[in-house]
Amino acid sequence: MLKMTHLAKVYRTEVVETYALRDFNIDVKEGEFVAVTGPSGSGKTTFLTIAGLLETFTGGHYHLDGVEVSQLDDNARSRIRNEKIGFIFQAFNLIPDLNVFDNVEVPLRYRGMKAAERKQRIMDALERVGLASRAKHYPAELSGGQQQRVAIARALAGSPRLLLADEPTGNLDTQMARGVMELLEEIHREGATIVMVTHDPELAARAQRNVHVIDGQVVDLAEEPRFHAHAHTAHS
Amino acid sequence: MLTDVRPIVSTLRRHRLTATLLVLQIALTCAIVCNAVFLIGDRVSWMLTPSGIAEGDLMRIIVSDIGPRRDLHARVEADLAALRAIPGAQAVTVGNSLPFGGNAWNSGLKLDRSQQSPSATVAMFYGESLVETLGTRLVGGRLFRPQEYAWVDDLVAGKATSSHVAMMTSDLANRLFPGESAIGKEVFVGGEPVRVVGVLERLPAARVGAREDVNNTLMMPWRMVPAYGGGYFVRARHGEAAHVLKDAVAALKRVEPRRVIVEARLYSDIRGRYFANDRAMTVLLAAVSVALLVVTALGIVGLASFWVAQRRRQIGVRRALGASRTAILRYFQTENFLLASMGIALGMALAYGINVLLMRQYELPRLPWTYLPVGAIVLWGLGQAAVLAPALRAASVPPVVATRG
Repeated sequence: MLKMTHLAKVYRTEVVETYALRDFNIDVKEGEFVAVTGPSGSGKTTFLTIAGLLETFTGGHYHLDGVEVSQLDDNARSRIRNEKIGFIFQAFNLIPDLNVFDNVEVPLRYRGMKAAERKQRIMDALERVGLASRAKHYPAELSGGQQQRVAIARALAGSPRLLLADEPTGNLDTQMARGVMELLEEIHREGATIVMVTHDPELAARAQRNVHVIDGQVVDLAEEPRFHAHAHTAHS
Repeated sequence: MLTDVRPIVSTLRRHRLTATLLVLQIALTCAIVCNAVFLIGDRVSWMLTPSGIAEGDLMRIIVSDIGPRRDLHARVEADLAALRAIPGAQAVTVGNSLPFGGNAWNSGLKLDRSQQSPSATVAMFYGESLVETLGTRLVGGRLFRPQEYAWVDDLVAGKATSSHVAMMTSDLANRLFPGESAIGKEVFVGGEPVRVVGVLERLPAARVGAREDVNNTLMMPWRMVPAYGGGYFVRARHGEAAHVLKDAVAALKRVEPRRVIVEARLYSDIRGRYFANDRAMTVLLAAVSVALLVVTALGIVGLASFWVAQRRRQIGVRRALGASRTAILRYFQTENFLLASMGIALGMALAYGINVLLMRQYELPRLPWTYLPVGAIVLWGLGQAAVLAPALRAASVPPVVATRG
């Protein structure tokens, strides 16, 4: 489903080159729930933005659903984002001027879908996250957990092949975070492919597979002493 | 383009105050510019009123002779002979008035001697061979015959009698005798009966009161003299007016060196002076309209730029969710189109209101409805042009802004 080979991302300024990702390799199979972990600045968010076609990369290869994406123009990348990828952001990223219904509708409008089908999908997605009764509410009228559920509904409404979640519980309290996590697990059980970036080992432990990123590279956890120490502290 | 309408309206509702202010600005601009353009058009069309004379080739020289008024006729004949001798002078005469010339001679015209009030106030034109010199066109009847002319000073002194014939413009003829020929008809001017012998295509008055009366003019066979308010009219061969004017002044000075040349102007200059106020008003209205349009455009640019900056993250989220650059561009263009449309709708009603007020206060004509769609297209175009730069800036926001802000 998602395969990166020797992928590199370099940020260049006039005086310095910074490798955000270097010889980055990952292969996520269809139906997998993968957690990408790592310390701040390790490159996990850069990985997510490239995986979601929000950014281009400097070198290497990236196949998404069998398509090499490096040569695609902006329109094609937009279309793939719209049709194949669902995003869940840490800050929810709902549009404050639109109500819940209209927020979930945003990606569907860019697909040129008929109004009746849009409405059906929106209501199904809102039912799915338990917020059908809040369709006319504005984001500011909802709790953080509810806002993230709307964001999940927005990601689900387009029936994406891949769900990318960037610290989906980072802005939520424990109880709300648990609810959102249970929802993601449920969605995964129903067959969705999920890649979740998190720095929280507890959340990562609930994924099927963990990928650890340090200094822009995927590392083998067994060979990484810092991780052992950190994991030990976290579980003690 | 219209797929985004509902969410845009929903967004605008949440920014009601700013949206309303912009809509009001567009409405006011629409109303004022529609009326201003109408007034400009009205003035321009008035300034372009055809005179029917050979404007480019004509000139007027007004002289004031010092000394006793003796041998008036001989002096005029000598002056005319000197003017005719100028190379490039095609026709010369002494006349009292030129269309839009400023110095008007008016008279009341009655169809019946016993009428209490005149049927029309007409501008009088006098001068020998005036039709030929001015180059106006005879469209019915005949020109004056040589024996029908009389010297104005002789008529005033009672030494001669008027031949009681006149030519009138077709406008005046149609007004006085609708549906029938004016030739041979009798009218009364200054209480004297006058028979219409010729009809002129047009001959605008020297000073016009109501515009619809511009061609209410009558010509009579009087030979004018400068001492009785006449001026020398010279028609030059085409393209030679400038040098003929200089030569004419010199020739008149040669005939009588002590005389004062009161005025020596090309007709284009005379006409230009007559419409100077209209031209100034047109320029002023145009400047106000352009200033208003510029201010409105700046208002649109300002608000759109503010909204783009304010919604930068939101734009990034839309891009992340699949909006192409074109879709973002279209979003802002549609938003502007909707605001402009609301402003235009309100502006049209306001335009009619202002027009009704102007009609009542200043007797201006009714604003033709065709100005409204033209005004709407101008403001739609202006809005789209003004929003383009901010919209392009919005379209260039990368999708990664959704994650990094």
